[in-house]
Amino acid sequence: MIAFVAIPLTLLSMQQGAGSPVAQRLAGRVSPQIAALVEELGTGASARGLPIDPLIQKAIEGSAKGIAPERIATALRLVAMQLDTAAAALRDGGTQLASDTLAIAAGEFAITAGLSGSDITALARTGADAAALTVGLRVAGTLAALGVPPAEDIGLVSVALRSGEPASSLLLLPATVQSEIGRGATPAQAAAGLARAAAAQARHGPPPGRGGGNPHPPHPPHP
Amino acid sequence: MSGHEFHPLVKQLLDGDITRADLPAELRAEGEEALHLLAGVERTAVSMPAVTWRVMAALERRRRRFLPWLLAPALAIAAALVIWLWPGTPPPSASLVTVRFVLVAPEARQVSLAGTFNQWDPQATPLVRAGATGVWTATVTLPAGQHQYVFVVDGARWVPDPGAPAVDDGFGRRNSVLTL
Repeated sequence: MIAFVAIPLTLLSMQQGAGSPVAQRLAGRVSPQIAALVEELGTGASARGLPIDPLIQKAIEGSAKGIAPERIATALRLVAMQLDTAAAALRDGGTQLASDTLAIAAGEFAITAGLSGSDITALARTGADAAALTVGLRVAGTLAALGVPPAEDIGLVSVALRSGEPASSLLLLPATVQSEIGRGATPAQAAAGLARAAAAQARHGPPPGRGGGNPHPPHPPHP
Repeated sequence: MSGHEFHPLVKQLLDGDITRADLPAELRAEGEEALHLLAGVERTAVSMPAVTWRVMAALERRRRRFLPWLLAPALAIAAALVIWLWPGTPPPSASLVTVRFVLVAPEARQVSLAGTFNQWDPQATPLVRAGATGVWTATVTLPAGQHQYVFVVDGARWVPDPGAPAVDDGFGRRNSVLTL
């Protein structure tokens, strides 16, 4: 009976030690010191329902770039903190998304790009579903990376989320803002202009030739 | 019976493969003799002494007691292999997007991509120089989502994409951002 139990347990412990998802992904890529820190931070993050992929990615990135271990450790702790901030912000938004690891990772990216926890909460309060909010957070982070100030950034993405724009339309926003910047607008002007257009479209429907059919067709001309 | 060997056809008769009529005339007498001898064999059950039954029963108990022990290692190894080899939960399917990366670097001898999509491996995704123009390109299929990347020039310089938004990488440099 001992053999019956001992052999699988031994092999299982070997698998979990050398073959845990974190260890497997870090094997040969980072120093043992960084691997141990990622395991430690990752265990805590998992226990709090946070994703661990951003931690793993940051460790691999730092090592690949030849960054000193102390600096990688600082960056890892910052990522862990931002994951907590993102999860708390989603919780404050009153959504069930505080347990959605993709949404939390997207929130962490938005914070890295320059947005705050309250910006994430504002997006969460639009009532968008998990998939749309995750895309919205990624787009908001990308707009911030383009230099769009938080107020205009959140204004634009909130309007798009409230109007039920599909993810494909949300994903076009950074390119459209970039295009407006290329024409001479500031990032704030570009985003504000797009937000006004989106709000008007939400009130009056899409312009002719775009989107679905007009729900209020014009009356036929009088004879 | 000792030293007596029946003809093969007679043996077939004893086995029931053929009948008396099938035997040639010269073998019929031998066949009758063989059948007679067979009929004389006592068919009552052979009784075993009680001690034999006890020995056999003890051996059977021992065999049954040891069977799990003999099987346990095999079963344990099989179970461990199943745990070891069982594939993890498959990742959720994500839609894929084909992206073309472009960098103008006339002086570069080698350009590659490193990012979240290739574990930041600077050897994984090389760009190809387009003629003598200094334009380097790579076409990559990526899952929908948010990716960060940089170009690695000549294996040493980590350069963000000048045409893409960028964020602080946490190490004092910039990563380009691609949201699909």
